[in-house]
Amino acid sequence: MAKTVVTTQSDRYATGIFLYSAVPLIKVICESEPQFGDKFKGKSFVFQVSAKDSEAEGTGKLATHFVINDGVWTTFPGVVHEKPDVELAFPSLRKFVVFFSGKGMPLPKIKGLFKFGLLIPLLGPLLRMAKLMQSKDKPTLLSDQIMLCKLFLYLLPSGISRLNKMGHPDVKAVTETSPDRAYALIIENYPDLQSWIRVKGGKSMSGRGEYKRCKPFLAMKFKDPSLALDILMSKADMVKYIELGNLFVDGAPEFAGTVGALMFKVAYYAQGQYLDVEK
Amino acid sequence: MAGGITFTAVESTKLAPAEIFGKTIAELGSSDPTIVCLSPDLATSTKMGDFLAKYPDRFFNVGIAEQNMIGIAAGMAKAGLKPFASCFSVFASLRALDQLHTDVCYQNVNVKIIATHGGTSFGQAGSTHHAIEDIGVVRTMVNLTVICPADGMETANAVRAAASTPGPFYIRINRGFDNVVYNSSDYGFEVGKAVEMVDGTDITLIACGSCVYQAMQAASILKFDHKLSARVLNMHTIKPIDREAVLKAVRETRKLVTIEDHTIVGGLGSAVAEVIVEGGKACLLRKLGIPDKWSPIGLHEDLLAHHEIDAEGIVKNVLEVMKQDIEKDEDWGDEV
Repeated sequence: MAKTVVTTQSDRYATGIFLYSAVPLIKVICESEPQFGDKFKGKSFVFQVSAKDSEAEGTGKLATHFVINDGVWTTFPGVVHEKPDVELAFPSLRKFVVFFSGKGMPLPKIKGLFKFGLLIPLLGPLLRMAKLMQSKDKPTLLSDQIMLCKLFLYLLPSGISRLNKMGHPDVKAVTETSPDRAYALIIENYPDLQSWIRVKGGKSMSGRGEYKRCKPFLAMKFKDPSLALDILMSKADMVKYIELGNLFVDGAPEFAGTVGALMFKVAYYAQGQYLDVEK
Repeated sequence: MAGGITFTAVESTKLAPAEIFGKTIAELGSSDPTIVCLSPDLATSTKMGDFLAKYPDRFFNVGIAEQNMIGIAAGMAKAGLKPFASCFSVFASLRALDQLHTDVCYQNVNVKIIATHGGTSFGQAGSTHHAIEDIGVVRTMVNLTVICPADGMETANAVRAAASTPGPFYIRINRGFDNVVYNSSDYGFEVGKAVEMVDGTDITLIACGSCVYQAMQAASILKFDHKLSARVLNMHTIKPIDREAVLKAVRETRKLVTIEDHTIVGGLGSAVAEVIVEGGKACLLRKLGIPDKWSPIGLHEDLLAHHEIDAEGIVKNVLEVMKQDIEKDEDWGDEV
């Protein structure tokens, strides 16, 4: 008799982060690295990643899909497409999380398996993302460091915002009492390597690039991609790096710990740490 | 009968702004023989005693005749002198307005007006002696530089700047003692450049005169009691106003509160609002000051509290502004 895995609330938080924050990074890789993006020129199709969920209304699954139109990607996070051309369909939220967190390889059912012209180009950015984000060590090539920083910087504020929108109590505790404030992550001298989250009275939104609405309440400014990865991959102590000048906290340093705790919360789900803790 | 003392008497170990003006002008008089002082029989109140004692032949008591004083000062300036004319703000800006307009500003002569008893600092003297419209009136005068120093040290800086800068000046100071904002005059005072007293990102408090101290106290309360980060700008020069500092505050904090011991019509708040509307970026602005009503009569500290331009009043208003939205229908979707 097959073992039934009950979907936990943590599975749902992790799924939310992957569908809304991590899977959309495939588009980022294709747009940033022509060796992947160029392979979609002249191609128009729908690609979807989904996971079955008995509680999902209608289709019985949760998904994010992309519409690729002559190589131009549009992301529809959290939206199920009924007839995607290519789909990675996981049988459960847990297996979806295990696969994307790198905790295991429960292979999905692949719709469009024989559409080689579409499927094979998709494997490139998927493997690129997996290799970078699941690596325990910092990449040595600067180009890889830049790409990994971009993925982390885009993932973290988005992940925090997703947890907030899903009502995660630890995140809500921060956002609900907050006035209109923005927190930014910045790698100096790399205009693309910036992201932010804005919170106000329980609401949140995340974005990429410079926060232009006002001066961020707090900005964590890293000196370069390599030093940023030391912190983002938990290889160095944040306080020590502030002392050394590798990280400059601009605005309200007493809130740096709050932001750090929220980032760790995203990592807790995105790296599947909860799967070990909540056995 | 005026009588009474102001609350800032607790700072009695320091000199009042008017006294510092008196000391400063006496000091400047030694190096600049063109400096002369004029008073409408108010040398004691406006603290020109030191100058009178040192240079009796360069001091002119014109009698209780503010209009004549301004006209005479303009004539002296035309003759190459550098007159400092001092009287109560309410009379310098209203009673002598025609002379200020035509004799001083139209002629663009080198007259420096030290307008004492500004705002409600002479609160117990009654509404006729409250100078709550002066900034609004005088900042419309062409060629006139208008300064409202935060305390005694800044008064000294403003007087020195006026002495060394050609053209008419209107420097508005309070009666009695002000809370001390600066312990030294060496902090980079520059006419037309606001001083950032406290950095912050949630909201900007823009104040002038004695309200700068109140704004700084409010920022401290906001930080420790409400975890809010308030920037404080000392906008000592009302004209020409520091447009760059205002627009930076709009860009970086999006919420502003102006604080002034003056009617909310035409003063600092209005000057800031004029800059904002030309800047093209939406923001929230609340103007704190005396509403469009006659102020009650009372001691300065009580009037500041009554008009919510003391620290507690500023905090109360900031907390209200923080709850207001700028854009109503914001999109809270995450970027993908």
